[in-house]
Amino acid sequence: MFFRLIRGAMFRQRRKMLMIAFTIALGSSLATAMLSVVFDVGDKVNQELKTYGANITVVPKQASVLNDLYDVEGSPDSGAYLREDELGKIKTIFWAFNIVDYAPFVNVSASLDDGSSVTAVGSWFNHHMELPTGEQLDAGMNSLRSWWEITDGKWIDESREGSENEVMAGIHVAERLGLAAGDTLHVTGTSAEKDLTVVGVYDSGGSEDDQIYMSLDTAQALDDMDGCVSSIEVSALTTPDNELAAKAAKNPQSLTIAQYETWYCTAYVSSICYQIQEVITDSVASAVRQVADSEGAILNKTQLLMILITALSLVGAALGICNLVTASVIERSGEIGLMKAIGAYNGSITGLVLTEISLTAILGGIAGFAAGFGFAQIIGNTVFGSAITMRPVVIPIVAVLVILVTLAGSIPAIRMLLGLEPAEVLHGR
Amino acid sequence: MFFRMITASLMRRRSRMLVALLAIAIGATILSGLVTIYYDVPRQMGAQFRNYGANILFTPSENSFSAEDLEAGLALADEGALVGSAPYRYESVRIHEQPVMAAGTNMEGAQKTSPYWLVEGEWPSASGEVMIGKNVADNLQLKNGSTFSMVYTGEDSEETPAESGAESAADGVESAAEEAESPAAGPSDGSGGEEDAEEDGYREAEFTVTAVLSTGGPEENYVYISMEDLEALTEISGKIDLAEVSMSAGAEELNAYTQKVSGEVPAVRAQLVKRVTASETTVLSKLQALVLLVTIVVLALTMICVATTMTAVVAERRREIGLRKAIGASDGSIIREFMGEGMLLGFLGGIIGAFLGFAFAQTVSMKVFSSSITFQPLLVPVTIIVSIAITGLACLLPIRSATKVDPALVLKGE
Repeated sequence: MFFRLIRGAMFRQRRKMLMIAFTIALGSSLATAMLSVVFDVGDKVNQELKTYGANITVVPKQASVLNDLYDVEGSPDSGAYLREDELGKIKTIFWAFNIVDYAPFVNVSASLDDGSSVTAVGSWFNHHMELPTGEQLDAGMNSLRSWWEITDGKWIDESREGSENEVMAGIHVAERLGLAAGDTLHVTGTSAEKDLTVVGVYDSGGSEDDQIYMSLDTAQALDDMDGCVSSIEVSALTTPDNELAAKAAKNPQSLTIAQYETWYCTAYVSSICYQIQEVITDSVASAVRQVADSEGAILNKTQLLMILITALSLVGAALGICNLVTASVIERSGEIGLMKAIGAYNGSITGLVLTEISLTAILGGIAGFAAGFGFAQIIGNTVFGSAITMRPVVIPIVAVLVILVTLAGSIPAIRMLLGLEPAEVLHGR
Repeated sequence: MFFRMITASLMRRRSRMLVALLAIAIGATILSGLVTIYYDVPRQMGAQFRNYGANILFTPSENSFSAEDLEAGLALADEGALVGSAPYRYESVRIHEQPVMAAGTNMEGAQKTSPYWLVEGEWPSASGEVMIGKNVADNLQLKNGSTFSMVYTGEDSEETPAESGAESAADGVESAAEEAESPAAGPSDGSGGEEDAEEDGYREAEFTVTAVLSTGGPEENYVYISMEDLEALTEISGKIDLAEVSMSAGAEELNAYTQKVSGEVPAVRAQLVKRVTASETTVLSKLQALVLLVTIVVLALTMICVATTMTAVVAERRREIGLRKAIGASDGSIIREFMGEGMLLGFLGGIIGAFLGFAFAQTVSMKVFSSSITFQPLLVPVTIIVSIAITGLACLLPIRSATKVDPALVLKGE
């Protein structure tokens, strides 16, 4: 009997039930879309902020003090170098997954044909790495220096044959020597001289415009520095700093064991620096505050902004559903009055109405969830050009939200129905 | 009569109408709130991006420029866009017989152009106080409160540290500073014979460290002192090697500004710090697109919500419509009356929503950016008109179908 009543209500009042289901679907799709975006926006914006370049630099221990103040460059015997064979280890630290890009740099001074001296920098451009984990990574300058404007030619492509004889010239160097893509540049180092083909001219807007860039091996050969690296730039996805991170950055030993574990297992820039120092011999890894600090500020603001917008839209969706549920239950006062007149109990009426509404809510909620996931993907693809990752936690949140809101919307209506006087209703007031 | 009928109907069915009004007001709140935020996000976020430091550099077209040239350049900026500016002048000095680069600047300006500097201690505020880079502090074993004497020996004798600094400077901003440094080494003071003079140009002064600076960049190798102190030490004044300018504006405006400055102030060559400006444009445009898209999705969904609520409210009055028709009302008059009712609700809801929306946007702005939002007066009429249009449209469809119903059927209770 109960089921026949329910089925009857579902089919005979199809339009009305469809409308409630539709509103609930809208509300839940809004909730799903906004929650998915809000949970993922941190990662997405973090990726975008990578265009500012590396947020960690690694230098040899001795050089961190001496390099900029005294002229120690070009004296490899001082030991102030990192080891090239240890570069792969950066991708083995605890937060390896958060390291999106890195590149080694070796600076040598070289002289050109016109007698002028120039800093020749060896680095990775699109260095392809097969990691022990089976992961593949293309790392290097192409992505770490995304703001460079290539005025002529193109980037060095390491996968191409003969790329070790290629060079990129800064715009000031190119203007001085009248270089263009395709020209040959004769470079003399302390231990070797090479004829390199200019494949690109870049405008960086900074001091790199007075330098020339070539592959790591080529630059090392110029100055007999095989296996030496002067610095490493690392671009890592990080969590904005808090008090714990600030305390740890000063001295990790000052933490309690519990604090230390929390810190070590959170992707703070200071803990990633610490882990890099653990794997690279005699190195000092430090955060580039200009990038690391600003990233944290912008990430926090964006997330907070999205959370508040989400809160507003959730409240809006909830009130919208409540409204409609109330309105649709109230309008059935005639029917309910009749049922009461022929002897229905309050409990059975409540059960009937709630079951109807819940069934509708479940159907609408599921449809809305699917639609909301679609909306989230549209947002992700349009704005960030990549899909939004679905967080499993969104499903229970949306489910609880839909159920609570539907029940809350039914309560005032049901209270009113129970207070109805059958005679009054049937009389038509 | 018409108006009395509408208001009477609204008053009599108070609870039902309150429900509808609430729905409309929520829709209008979301509309005005989100649109306000959307318009304000670039400005607010732009200010956040200034955390990355200066986005424009003034470099001298010849050896150096003067404070007046800097003022002239800054005067060309739009009102309110300028976040801060700091002049820099680099001189090599000796501390404990070690060569160090000293940068003379305006401390308040530097605080604004480089908000990311991590300063341990107090920013120097009085004469004789300095801030030293972390590397300098480690190397010379100085800490907050230490005093030392800084020796200036004239410009020509100290080429070496200046050049080694230029080679290793990795950061765009600072290295451009070094570019400016080298040619600036030209003019020699040549005067000599001052109170401390032991040889030509030898001068000495006492300083106290009040702060240690860490940035993770080449700034850690400098000693920052106030411009006045550096001028007193070197006895050369009115000379600036470089100025950092932080300005909150879009890429095109910045470009136009640098060209204007380079054109109108001949002593200054203004250039963009490409790393900062190019990246900011990328990220900011993505953020704005995100807020826009979210706004559109939320708006579309809330508007549909409002429409379904209105549809439900009208649909439940089919019986009343049937009765009216039975006693001879024309379709036109019924539509007019119901529409009038709906639009009055839309108007009221729009007004409430416009102000609640502003209050919401204000809360968000205060919470997220800790600054107040600009009120968009145009948004009030727009919100009201949109909510009237939505409710009108939402009422129109169910009323039209209701008027098609045969009064006899409705009254019979089907």
